[in-house]
Amino acid sequence: MARERVVVVGNGMAATRLVEELVARPGADLAITVVGDEPGPSYNRILLSAVLEGTHPASEIALQDEGFHRDHGVTLLTGTRVAEVDREAREVVLEDRRRLPYDRLVLATGSIPTLPPIRGLVSPDGRLHPKVHAFRSLTDCHRLLGAVPDARRAVVVGGGLLGLQVARALSVRGLEVDLVEGTSHLLSSQVGEQAGAVLRQSLHRLGTEVHTHSRAVRLTDEGLRLDNGYTLPTDLVVLTAGGRPATALAKRAGLYVRRGVVVDDRLRSVTDERVHALGDCAEHRSRTTGFVPPAWEQASVLAGVLAGEDRTYDGSRVVARLRATGLDVAVMGDPERTEGEVVEVANPVTGSYRKVVVRGGVLEAAVMVGDLSRVGLLTQLFDRRTVLGRAEPGMLLMADPPAVRAALPDDAEVCACAGVSAGRVRACADLAAVVATTRATTGCGGCATTVRELLGNPDGLVPTR
Amino acid sequence: MVEQVEGTRTHCPYCSLQCGMQLHRRGRETTVAAWEEFPTNQGAMCRKGWTSTALLRDRERITTPLVRDPATGTFRAAEWDEALDLVASRLADLQRRHGHDAVAVFGGGGLTNEKAYSLGKFARVALRTSQVDYNGRWCMSSAASAGTRAFGLDRGLPFPLRDIEHTDVLVLVGSNLAETMPPAARHLDALRRNGGKVVVVDPRRTATADRADVVLQPVPGTDLALARGVLHAVVAGGWVDQAYVDARTTGFEQVRRDVATAWPELTERVTGVAADDVRALARMLGEAENVIVLTARGAEQHAQGSDTVLAWVNVALALGQCGKLLSGYGCLTGQGNGQGGREHGQKADQLPGYRSIEDPAAREHVAGVWGVDPAGLPGRGRSAYELLDAIGADGGPKGLLVFGSNIVVSAPNAHHVSGRLDALELLVVADFVMSETAARADVVLPVTQWAEETGTMTNLEGRVILRRRAVSPPQGVRSDLEVLAGLAGRLGAPAGFDTDPERVFDELRRASAGGPADYAGISYARITDEHGVFWPCPADDHPGTERMFLDRFAHPDGRARFHAVSHRGPAEQPCGDYPLYLTTGRVLAQYQSGAQTRRIRELGDEGAFVELHPMVAARVGVGDGEEVRVRTRRGTMRAPARVSTTIRPDTVFVPFHWVGANQLTNDALDPASRMPEFKVCAAAVEAASDGPVGGVADADASTGAADGLPTIRPRSARPPARPATAAPSASPLATSASAVDAAVTSPCAADADATPGGVDG
Repeated sequence: MARERVVVVGNGMAATRLVEELVARPGADLAITVVGDEPGPSYNRILLSAVLEGTHPASEIALQDEGFHRDHGVTLLTGTRVAEVDREAREVVLEDRRRLPYDRLVLATGSIPTLPPIRGLVSPDGRLHPKVHAFRSLTDCHRLLGAVPDARRAVVVGGGLLGLQVARALSVRGLEVDLVEGTSHLLSSQVGEQAGAVLRQSLHRLGTEVHTHSRAVRLTDEGLRLDNGYTLPTDLVVLTAGGRPATALAKRAGLYVRRGVVVDDRLRSVTDERVHALGDCAEHRSRTTGFVPPAWEQASVLAGVLAGEDRTYDGSRVVARLRATGLDVAVMGDPERTEGEVVEVANPVTGSYRKVVVRGGVLEAAVMVGDLSRVGLLTQLFDRRTVLGRAEPGMLLMADPPAVRAALPDDAEVCACAGVSAGRVRACADLAAVVATTRATTGCGGCATTVRELLGNPDGLVPTR
Repeated sequence: MVEQVEGTRTHCPYCSLQCGMQLHRRGRETTVAAWEEFPTNQGAMCRKGWTSTALLRDRERITTPLVRDPATGTFRAAEWDEALDLVASRLADLQRRHGHDAVAVFGGGGLTNEKAYSLGKFARVALRTSQVDYNGRWCMSSAASAGTRAFGLDRGLPFPLRDIEHTDVLVLVGSNLAETMPPAARHLDALRRNGGKVVVVDPRRTATADRADVVLQPVPGTDLALARGVLHAVVAGGWVDQAYVDARTTGFEQVRRDVATAWPELTERVTGVAADDVRALARMLGEAENVIVLTARGAEQHAQGSDTVLAWVNVALALGQCGKLLSGYGCLTGQGNGQGGREHGQKADQLPGYRSIEDPAAREHVAGVWGVDPAGLPGRGRSAYELLDAIGADGGPKGLLVFGSNIVVSAPNAHHVSGRLDALELLVVADFVMSETAARADVVLPVTQWAEETGTMTNLEGRVILRRRAVSPPQGVRSDLEVLAGLAGRLGAPAGFDTDPERVFDELRRASAGGPADYAGISYARITDEHGVFWPCPADDHPGTERMFLDRFAHPDGRARFHAVSHRGPAEQPCGDYPLYLTTGRVLAQYQSGAQTRRIRELGDEGAFVELHPMVAARVGVGDGEEVRVRTRRGTMRAPARVSTTIRPDTVFVPFHWVGANQLTNDALDPASRMPEFKVCAAAVEAASDGPVGGVADADASTGAADGLPTIRPRSARPPARPATAAPSASPLATSASAVDAAVTSPCAADADATPGGVDG
C-alpha cells in the first residue's frame, strides 16, 4: 500500500509541532508535505514582541529549518501560496498551478490581522501607508524594527495583549508611545474595568499615554486623528487591533466555516473527514483560541489521529500571559464571563489587581495585574482543577505573613547534625564549650549563627522556621 | 588528660560523602573521633557518623545462618556448611530445571568495590546468569546514563568537592545536601564567604535552601522544563559561549532550535516558577565566570530523570562550563559506594572497569582475567525493577540472592514487589540484621558489616578510599566474600573467588585496566599514603585524575554532546481522585531504608511523617501532629502531619526510611536508565481521625494488611536466635504500615533493617 499523503497548509507554530509529533511516531508511515507562505524556516511567533523590544535576538527564534524536514523525509515548500483546495480531486493547487495530491489535508493557516476602518491607512495604489505597520509576521517585525531608528513617536492601535506588548516594546526602544483603544478599558476582551484601570495607570507610569473610548478615524500628515477630535502626531502607526482566523481558503473549498473552520473532536472538518484544521484557524466547540499551548495540544491529538490512534481533543485551559518589560499580567480562563464566586483584591496605590473566580471549589478563572507573586501556584491550581478549601481563594490573594521571630524554647533543636537543643546551648559558657560538650556547629555548620545568638543573648529572639 | 591513641582510620558507613573518621577501641566500646586530615570532610561529621558505632554492639545481630523450616514456616539456626550446601543445591536444581537465568542476583550501592566486583563475577561465572542488578539503579542511574551520553564517561563529580567553594554560582537541582550529607554544606558557606552565590531548586524549601541566595520551588517532576526555560533565556540574553560550543561540543544547533519553544512564560506555566525568576537565574548564570550545576535524586528519580540531567548538562555546556576549572556539571551520588558500586560489574549491562557487557573487546579482557571463555559470559540482563517485576512470570527468576539491599522498603510500588518476592521458590538474603527483606527469606546468611571488614569504596568525587577493619566480627559471621567463595566452590565455578579483600582488589585492578573506570594504578598502600586516589588511574606512576575533561571529553571525538530533550512530565498527573503531588526524600537522622540508622537509639527514630502546607492542612482539616492518611493508586500509609510553609501547597512529602513511602511511589521507569519515578506521583491526603494516633492498622491500609506475610505465604520472620526480650524501639508515632509489619513479623521488625540498601534521597 502506498504511504498516506498528508499535506499541511501553513508552516507556523501549530504546523511545526504537528510535524514534530508525526515524525516522532515511528509507526506512522506518512508522506508529509508542508506548504508555508512565509519565506524561511518556521519560527516562534510568540517571541516577536520580545524581538521588537530587544530582549530576544531575531536570530534565535527559528524552530525547525529545512534540515530537520529533510532529515525526516518531509517535503517543505516555503514562500509558497496555496491558491485552491480541490476537494473533489483531493488536490491542493498552488499559486503556480502545481497540484499536490493528498489523502489527508491539514489546514494550519493561522490568523490574519484585521485592518480597522481608518481612512488614509491604504494609499491610492493599494499599499499600506509608509507609516503604517501590521505586527503579525517576522517580516512585519523586521520592517517595524527598520523604521524605529528614524521615529520619535508611535501610536499603537488596539489595547489587547499584542497592543500592550508592542506599546511597551516601542517604549523600551525609546519612542514616545500613545495607545488607542476603542472600548472602555485595556484588555477589554479578557478583564474588567478595574483591572484595565490599574493597567492604564501602570502604563502611564511607564510613560505611555492611553486613550480609551477612542477610535482612530483618519491618518493625515499631522498625525492620527481620533473620533474625539484629538490628533496624535506620530511617525509610526502599528495596528494590533485583533486578528481573525484565516479561513478564505477553507471557505472557497466549501468547508463549513463560522469564525474558524469548524472541526469535531478529532479535529476533522465537519464537512469533509479528509480535511483537518488546528490552531488559530480552527473552531472547536464554538471556540477559537489564538494561543499557542492549545494549538500544541491540538497538534498532539491530531498527530495521533493521523497516525491511527484513538485520540480526541476536548478543549484546553487557556492562560494568557503578557510578555513585556515592566508590565505584569496573567489571565486564566475567561474571568469576565465565567460564572462563580468572585474574590478580588484591588490596590491601585501599588498598581496591583487580583481576582479569582471559583466554582465548586475549583479555580475557573483568574486575573493578576501588577503582582504576580503567586502566578506559578495559581496557574497550577487552575490547570489541575484542584478543589480548594473555603479559605484558600482568599489566602491565595493575600501576601504571605511576615516571618516571626520568637524565643526558642529550651527543647527546640538548633543543631540537627548533632541533635542539640537550645537549652543545651544556653547551658554552655561559650562557643568552645558548645563544641566540646555538644558538637553543635561542627557538622554542616548551619546552626552557627543561631548558636552565637543563643550564647550572646540567651533570652533574646532568634528566628524560627 | 587521656593520651590520644591513634585509632583506625576509616570512613563513615553511610552516604557517598564517606567522611573520614577514626575508630578507637577501648575494651568492648568503640568510639568515633574526627580525622581532620581527610580532605573531603576535614573532621566534620553529622550525628549519623558520630553514633555509627552503636551498631557494633547491637544485640539484634544475626550470628548464625537461618533456614526456614518448610513444615512450620519458622526459621531455625543452621551450620554454615549446611546452609551453603542447601543454597547451592537448590540454586543448581532451579537452574537445571529452568535454565541459568532462573536465578537472579541483587546487589547494593553500599557494598565495597571488592564485594560488588565479586558479586558480578559470581553471577556471570558461577551462576552464568544474566540476571544481576542492584539498588543503585534506583539511586543515580539517571545521572550515570546522562553523564555517559553527554561526556562519554560517568564520574559523579568530575572534580573534588572542595572546588565548589571557588566557583561563582553553584546550582543545586534536587539536592538537600544539608540534611543528606551535612558536612558538605560547609562548602556552601565557604563559597558564599568567597563571594559566590548558591541557587537551590527543590519543591521544598529545605535546610539547604536556607543557605542559598536564590531558591526556586518548581512543581515536582518539572526540573527538565525549568532547565529548558533557563537555556532559552541564556540564549536570549546572548550568554552562549559560542567559541566553546564550536570547539568542544556537538549538537548545539538542534538544542538551540528546540529551546526556542521554551519561553519563560510557558516555563512558568509548566514549572510554577515565575517567568521573571527564570530570566533572573539565566542572567546570574550568564554573567558568571564559573558555574557549577549539581543534580541529585530530586532531579534524577523520575521517568524522565536522565533527560532531566541532560537538560541541565545542556545549560552548563552552552555556558562553556564543562571541562573547565571550578566549573561544570556533577552528580551528588547518594549511596556510600554509589560510584564504585556502579563501575565493577553488579549492573545488568556492565563488566568491571565500567565496561559494557555487549562490547566484545571488554568481554574478552574480563574473561581473560577470570580465566574463562568470553563466549560463556551471559549478556545484558534485566534492570533492577524489571528483574523483580519478572519474578513469577514466564521466564522470570525463580531464585534470588540479595546482598546489601532491603528491597521490601526501598523498591518503588513496594507492595507489589513484596508480592513478587513471595512468588520466589528460593529467596536468600545476606545481611547482618533481620531486615524486612531478610524476614521473607528462605535462607538468611549473616555477614560482616562496615567496621568489621576491609575494602575500598569510591566516594562521590570518584576518590577511591579504604574502609579498614577496626573490630572483630561476632562469632558465626562471615564476610560477603567468604559467602560468595563458599557458594562458588559448591557450584563448581570455573574461576577462583578470593576471600582476602586486598587480593580481590588486585584482581579488580587487572579487570578494570584499560576500561573507562581504570583502577590499575590504585593500591591499598597508595590510598593510605595519598588520602585516596581518583580514578582513572591506569598505572602505578599515574597520579590519578582529580579533575576530568579539562583537555577533552571521553567520546571518541573528544567532544561533549548536547541532547535535545523534551519535557513529557511525570507519568502520573494529579487528578480529581488524587489531587496532590507526592514527593519523597530523606531526613538528617536516618539513612536509606532506615538501614542501620533506625536501630540506633541516639538518632531518635520518630517514624515517618507527612509534610504538607497549611493550605492543604486546612483543606483536609488536620493540624500539626494529627494523623493523616496518604493514598496513591498503589497503596496507603498513615503518619502524623507536619504542617509547614516550606513546601509547595500542591505537594506533600514523605520520608522513605520507613515501610510506607515506597508503597505509594510509582514504578514508571526512565526509558534510558530504568530509574523508577520515586520523586513524583499523584496522591490524596485525608484526615485519619478514625483511629488512635499510630499503632493500629488502617482498615483500608492495603499496604499494611495485604503486606502481612501470613496472608500470602506462611512464613514467620522471627529468628530463634533473637532474644525474646527485644522490644520495638519505634516510637508510638511509627506509621501504621510499620506497626502492622511489627505485629505480623516480629517485635523487632519495625526497627530491624538491612545493610545500606534502598534508594537515596
